[in-house]
Amino acid sequence: MKRTGFLHDIRYLLHDTGPYHPEMAERLQAIQKGVEAAGLLPQLTEIKAVPADMAWIEAVHATVYIRRFEEVCRSGVRQFDYSDNQMCTETYDTAILAVGGVLEAVRMVMAGEIDNAFCAVRPPGHHAEVAEAMGFCYFNNVAIAARYLQKEWGIERVGIVDFDVHHGNGTEHIFEEDPTVFYYSIHEHPSFAFPGTGRDFDTGKGAGKGFTKNSPMLPGQGDEEFKALIQQDLLPAFEGFRPEVILVSVGFDALDADEMADMRLSRACFTWIAEQLKVLADQYAEGRLISVLEGGYSIDHLGELAEDHLKVLMRD
Amino acid sequence: MFVSKSMTRKVLTAAKDESIFSAQERMKQAAIRHLPVVDADGRLIGIVTDRDLRSAMPYSLIKNTCDDAERAKLAEMRVGEIMSPDPITLNPAHTIQDALLLVQEHKVGAFPVVDDAGNLKGILSVRDLLRAFVNVLGIGQRGTLMGILVEEKVGQLKQIVDAITEEGISFGSVLVARYWEDDKRAVFPYLLTNHVARVKKKLTGMGFTLIDPMDWYLDQLPSKESE
Repeated sequence: MKRTGFLHDIRYLLHDTGPYHPEMAERLQAIQKGVEAAGLLPQLTEIKAVPADMAWIEAVHATVYIRRFEEVCRSGVRQFDYSDNQMCTETYDTAILAVGGVLEAVRMVMAGEIDNAFCAVRPPGHHAEVAEAMGFCYFNNVAIAARYLQKEWGIERVGIVDFDVHHGNGTEHIFEEDPTVFYYSIHEHPSFAFPGTGRDFDTGKGAGKGFTKNSPMLPGQGDEEFKALIQQDLLPAFEGFRPEVILVSVGFDALDADEMADMRLSRACFTWIAEQLKVLADQYAEGRLISVLEGGYSIDHLGELAEDHLKVLMRD
Repeated sequence: MFVSKSMTRKVLTAAKDESIFSAQERMKQAAIRHLPVVDADGRLIGIVTDRDLRSAMPYSLIKNTCDDAERAKLAEMRVGEIMSPDPITLNPAHTIQDALLLVQEHKVGAFPVVDDAGNLKGILSVRDLLRAFVNVLGIGQRGTLMGILVEEKVGQLKQIVDAITEEGISFGSVLVARYWEDDKRAVFPYLLTNHVARVKKKLTGMGFTLIDPMDWYLDQLPSKESE
């Protein structure tokens, strides 16, 4: 059995998005409950959140943006720029804890304390741009983790796979000119779903041309189309790129029952994609895989999806 | 919405006695397909397209099999001999809508823009028009498009706008496709949010029908094809 880390922390519930917001604390409670009920906790290595060193956040985000986020948040304003970004006075600190937790998971994997990890964090990160909060995201957890891997651990090639139903505009944008970070995303087609980016002809810019790959899916498509695209687009891309570590933006919102978008993936398909990613990690990255929660809003199903995901990571 | 705001002002032009080889080379360099031809006072007298130039060159030239005599003859050929002398032009005060209708009617790729005295002021290409509409449609702005079927009667749009505004969501744009069906319209609000599930439920609860995204279209009636 692999030594799998599970990052969860009660402080991630403190980010309060107010009433009627889909990105709510109950999401993590559902995940926690599911993992507990499945009896997985004793076999998992618990990872606790620690505040991130600000230098790592600044490795991705503009200092003026970080300061503005802190000020707006602490002043008690409940919304940051867009109505999507509902927050409370704890949001800024929680966002720093989310980054810090993910970096701790990365550290433990790189130090050989665990083989892989799943990070159940809030707020999510993949829509966050260098200087802009967006789509419930404030700090781009995965992008910061990629920079940390490169600068602290000397990793040259980081592979990011994003299977949230929405395109990770922030992550793509941050690395679009960078040939050392490959960003692959499969998501609902941008003409039909937020955020309106991630077209199949967007493949990176300048030196980063060829190091971004997008696989948009049409509304109503499901397992079959998803699997075909992963096989056709992701597998060959990573065979060429040979990532030394794989970071995963995990979104459970392409699930049929999830109302945030129009994809129809089954529960089994999420197990399938986790298996594919684990094979890729074993093939190219010495098994080093750190997955980080992004979206997924169906409270009734998040528990079982997280359970399935962890079970795949734990398997040999 | 005026042509003067969207046109390219710095226009490459040709004189009518320029050789066609030289004109072709300059167009290739600048990656353009239309070259207005002006007289010494900057007044428009014609236009030459990359297609006009290609048609003027014999196949033997392209295949590199023509003899020197033929080549010399072609080198003597002037832009004035092959240009279209009376191109369809726009005035800077024409609108983007005028230009779109003209593109549809005449199937041309670009219009020289001339003032009332006939002086060349700019050029407006289909590419300029597309840019304006990418902008109007907000393509690439962070948001979510929805499709709502409404009865063709006054006040429907207000209900939709109110319902969305109550959720604190901003609009990127609103498109209304008329004549969706007889007595129906399709409204496409582009919402600057990741969170449309709640709005969708609300609108359905109000009696509106959401259109399946796979059935969205923006051009003509589907029934016209089947008739």
